[in-house]
Amino acid sequence: MPMELLEYKSNAWGQRVLEGVSWDLVWIFLAAGLMVVVVHSIYVVWRKAVISRQSRNEFSTESMDG
Amino acid sequence: MDEANRVMRHRLTGRLFHWTTAICFFVLLATGLLPVFGINFNWLTPHWIAGLVLIVAVLIHIIRTFQGHHLRYMWIGLKEFITSFSHVLAVLSGKYSSPAKPGKYSVAQKVFHFGATVVVLTAAGTGIMLMTGIDTPFWERDPYFVSESVRGWLFALHGFATLISITMIIVHIYFAIRPEKRYFLRSMINGWVSRRDYEDNHNTDLWKEEKD
Repeated sequence: MPMELLEYKSNAWGQRVLEGVSWDLVWIFLAAGLMVVVVHSIYVVWRKAVISRQSRNEFSTESMDG
Repeated sequence: MDEANRVMRHRLTGRLFHWTTAICFFVLLATGLLPVFGINFNWLTPHWIAGLVLIVAVLIHIIRTFQGHHLRYMWIGLKEFITSFSHVLAVLSGKYSSPAKPGKYSVAQKVFHFGATVVVLTAAGTGIMLMTGIDTPFWERDPYFVSESVRGWLFALHGFATLISITMIIVHIYFAIRPEKRYFLRSMINGWVSRRDYEDNHNTDLWKEEKD
């Protein structure tokens, strides 16, 4: 069953009225925040590896030139 | 650290605004969300009081922004946006090159600030409208001030602002405590960054050192 974005209730006259946001979405927004943390952490590790590879290559090129 | 090696980033009023906002957000989220998870207490009074304090703080911040010409630091220029976007695309395609040094704030920080502005103004605007339905020392409740369907949409928008703020707070705290970004957090406590952090991480032409 798809997750609802909004919640509805019945008013005093039995009409279906909007109550507000569906609080089941809390977990999605919590997960989205944690996802940013994980993705950025992976990016930082990758960036460190690239920078260290680049500096190793520069060092070996300089050694060959020297 | 001696004065010569300090560069002012956040003055006392800016820091007070930030931490007031942080406390208000904590109280607003706790009082707004704990009842959703079944922890029931008299949440409404601390919720609207924290909301009003946040609104006053935001109004003072807006006035300060326009008085002190701080807006130029937060404005996202087309050139810097394209530069940052190209960097993100390069990273996504697996190529890394050092990004250009930003001025006082990076594009990511500016985008975050813009998002926070939209979220806070939405929550504040809808919150004020919803407060017409409750008694406070300032006014008596008027349950017919807005119609039932409008009230539902106000609750929905207020709720979405709450949900987005959960994600934003996680992201904000994560970047505040990352080792290479921690000097931002220190500056939000002390007011200054070290000259080394200033020169290593920022374009000193775009972020001119403020003199007292």
